[in-house]
Amino acid sequence: MMKNDGGVRLFWLLLLFLLYTRGKSYSVPGKPTLTRCRSPEKETFTCWWEPGSDGGLPTTYKLFYRKEGSEKEYQCTDYHTGGKNSCFFNKNDTSIWVNYNITVVATNALGQALSDPLNIDVYYIVEPNPPENLKVTIQNDKGWPFLRASWDPPTKADTRSGWITLIYELRIKLEEEDEWEIHHVGQQKVFNIFGLQSEGTYVIQIRCKPDHGFWSEWSEDVQVVVPNYFPNKRSTWVLVMVFSGMVFLILSWLLHINSRNLKHCILPPVPGPKIKGFDQKLHKSGKSVDAFKSLDVPDFPHHTFSKSEDLLVEYIEVYVPEEQELMLEKSNNLHNGCLKSENSVSDCDSGRGSCDSHTLLLDKSGQQTDTQESQTDEQRHGEALQGENLAYTHQDMVSPDMSAGRVKTWPSVFSPLPQNRSTEDQTSSLEIAKQHCLSDSLLPSDFLTPYHSPPGHCTREHLGSNYWEFDFGNKRPHLTQPQTEVCHQIQAHSEININTGVKAEPAAQKFPTPRSNEYVEVQRINEEDSVVLRPVASNYDKLFEMQQGEDYSRVKGVDSDSVLLLLQKEAMEEEMNMCSCEQLTDTTDAHYTTFATSPEKPTACTHPTPQPLEERVVNGYVDTATMFTMPPY
Amino acid sequence: MMAKWSKNTKTSASERPRRNLKKEMAQMGTRGQLLALLTVLCSALMCKAVDIPDLLDRASQRSDKLHSLSNMLALELESDLPTIGRVTMPRPAMCHTSSLLTPNDKEQALQVSESTLMSLARSLLKAWQYPVGVLSNSANSLPHQSKGSISNKLQELQEHSRNLEDGLDVLSGKMGPAAQILSTLPYRGGSDLGQDKMSKLINFNFLLSCLRRDSHKIDSFLKVLRCRAANMQPNLC
Repeated sequence: MMKNDGGVRLFWLLLLFLLYTRGKSYSVPGKPTLTRCRSPEKETFTCWWEPGSDGGLPTTYKLFYRKEGSEKEYQCTDYHTGGKNSCFFNKNDTSIWVNYNITVVATNALGQALSDPLNIDVYYIVEPNPPENLKVTIQNDKGWPFLRASWDPPTKADTRSGWITLIYELRIKLEEEDEWEIHHVGQQKVFNIFGLQSEGTYVIQIRCKPDHGFWSEWSEDVQVVVPNYFPNKRSTWVLVMVFSGMVFLILSWLLHINSRNLKHCILPPVPGPKIKGFDQKLHKSGKSVDAFKSLDVPDFPHHTFSKSEDLLVEYIEVYVPEEQELMLEKSNNLHNGCLKSENSVSDCDSGRGSCDSHTLLLDKSGQQTDTQESQTDEQRHGEALQGENLAYTHQDMVSPDMSAGRVKTWPSVFSPLPQNRSTEDQTSSLEIAKQHCLSDSLLPSDFLTPYHSPPGHCTREHLGSNYWEFDFGNKRPHLTQPQTEVCHQIQAHSEININTGVKAEPAAQKFPTPRSNEYVEVQRINEEDSVVLRPVASNYDKLFEMQQGEDYSRVKGVDSDSVLLLLQKEAMEEEMNMCSCEQLTDTTDAHYTTFATSPEKPTACTHPTPQPLEERVVNGYVDTATMFTMPPY
Repeated sequence: MMAKWSKNTKTSASERPRRNLKKEMAQMGTRGQLLALLTVLCSALMCKAVDIPDLLDRASQRSDKLHSLSNMLALELESDLPTIGRVTMPRPAMCHTSSLLTPNDKEQALQVSESTLMSLARSLLKAWQYPVGVLSNSANSLPHQSKGSISNKLQELQEHSRNLEDGLDVLSGKMGPAAQILSTLPYRGGSDLGQDKMSKLINFNFLLSCLRRDSHKIDSFLKVLRCRAANMQPNLC
């Protein structure tokens, strides 16, 4: 009943109140919102809320909370410490690692409103206060100043027991600047700052954060003025040094850039070969005619270049009869020998040139064919040649008829080339040259590598076809041509000799210095009074055969009519016997035929290699081997 | 001391065994504290004084890293959890480690002996060995957009946890027998976090929140121990 009266009274009061405040609308309060809760030291915490509309009426706010594990509802006891719309939980009310369920209730005359509950745990809402007592002092490090900042942790935070662990952060800037320089400090409470501007004013701030929590606010500014720390003396020196250093750097850089030019100045390069007046660029561009124009010398007959055929002897026409061509084709190694002779003998004249003409020989020489075939051919040729030889010798020894293209060489005419180079006439030199050709060509092809050893020996076992062609050649206008022919022929023959004689010459290896046979042996004098000659091995050729049992006679001389004077056989035999004893190498007697320029009998036979050349001449023997001693081979 | 342990004077039936335990703990605390102090002094006098602070420093660094990882993970997943999930999430009291009595404020924590603190830390760590594995295995099937990074973090967390466990074993060996006491806190959640997508998410979130808190506990205990042992180095604390 009492309550009823009270209720009625209240109702009337409210009605009166409403009538009094007529025109205004009132409502229940709006829903408040819990904004955040923070704990500065893990021992207490504060929660703040945002009130809703108050509904026009005075509204009260209350905070209720529940702790984890119990349904008991607690009410906040301190609404003031934290400011307006806050609730402060003191140490007694605060538990860590306990979940709080907090609700704020707004109440006004008309009703109340509950906020959404907020679940928090103290351990993750820690936000400390800023560090305190920030002090910055200027220290000196050997004349260079630096700042030392020191501070204390916020008062309430118990870092000493380790309950809360704080890490700090410092920031510094010049007073007039806008951007801060932030330094992470860690757990220490002291920090040094270097690199200061002289006479600058710095502003420093510090803040902290727990190991797992929020950053505190920045502390208050601390200003510090850095003194002027450049003493006058030092500054001048520093300036001077810096300047000189820069100058040095610039100079060295310039030097480096121009190093190449300087090198050219100081150490000029050795000029390479350069043709005066030759424009390299023109040459490169391809206009060689223009490039060479500058090289024009007035008296240089370059205008005749166009008619080069006249001046330049590129080739020599050689007329070779058919038989000879066949023979020549069988020799293909001879050109090398011929070339060799060119190397050894210096005076290469027209005859020699043609003889040594590489192209010429190559044209003529073909593949090596069957030796037997060659041999038979040669025999056939040999007969014919012999016939011709005889004819020649009969007619004109000195000046053979070149029409047939046969030139015969008479080796004994030859004198050692070096000595007689100046004295002998061209003919002998030609002959000598030929002899070289011959000797070179007589290379045993079996054991000696063909083209770089002195000519070896040839066996004369198949001498049926062997013969020498020799040349009495004088200065003749067409000498070159026939001589090439002869050379060819000779070479062909000797090649054949080599081929045929290869198998039968094992013993030839032992010869120390195998030399070619330069001697020609008169085989016989046939019925036509022609001398049939055949090549003869040198003195120390053991295998030189005499088996044909040919008679041989020594040419005594040539008389005025260019007739060969031959010695009798007996005289020759005597000589032979004499000579045999002198042979260094053993066995066979060297058969020799010499063309004696002097009528005397040879007193002693001379050994080809060591004998002086004069003796040879005296004796009338010519050994082309001696000629080969001269040029080093 | 007893008052400090239990702040709520109004106790219910369920709270009574807890209060008894707390009493025991308090008694144990004083005894243990003395013992720990003696041990520390002895070891300090003998040659091994330097080792323990250094080891504690390392241990606390590792526990710091462990908590950072779990914190990141929990926040990452919580942000994606729909409101309904938050509502239906089990309360933190349902964590499997909530039965372990640990100090709840600074005074309590500072009163607990080193050995006890170490024991508590080790117990908590051991209790999470299996659930972390479960979390790591379930990470790939988690209906979350960044499950790859979550999986990586969980693996890293697992590694840190193992390392810390080994380190604490060594440390506790130096601290005396009281530190060797381990409380078993069995995990009953099973190897599967849930059948449907929502329950999986909810359970994942719940477990991570529990882990986050416990890892913070471990970290705090070790840091308290660190400062206690580092009397010669006041710089750190």
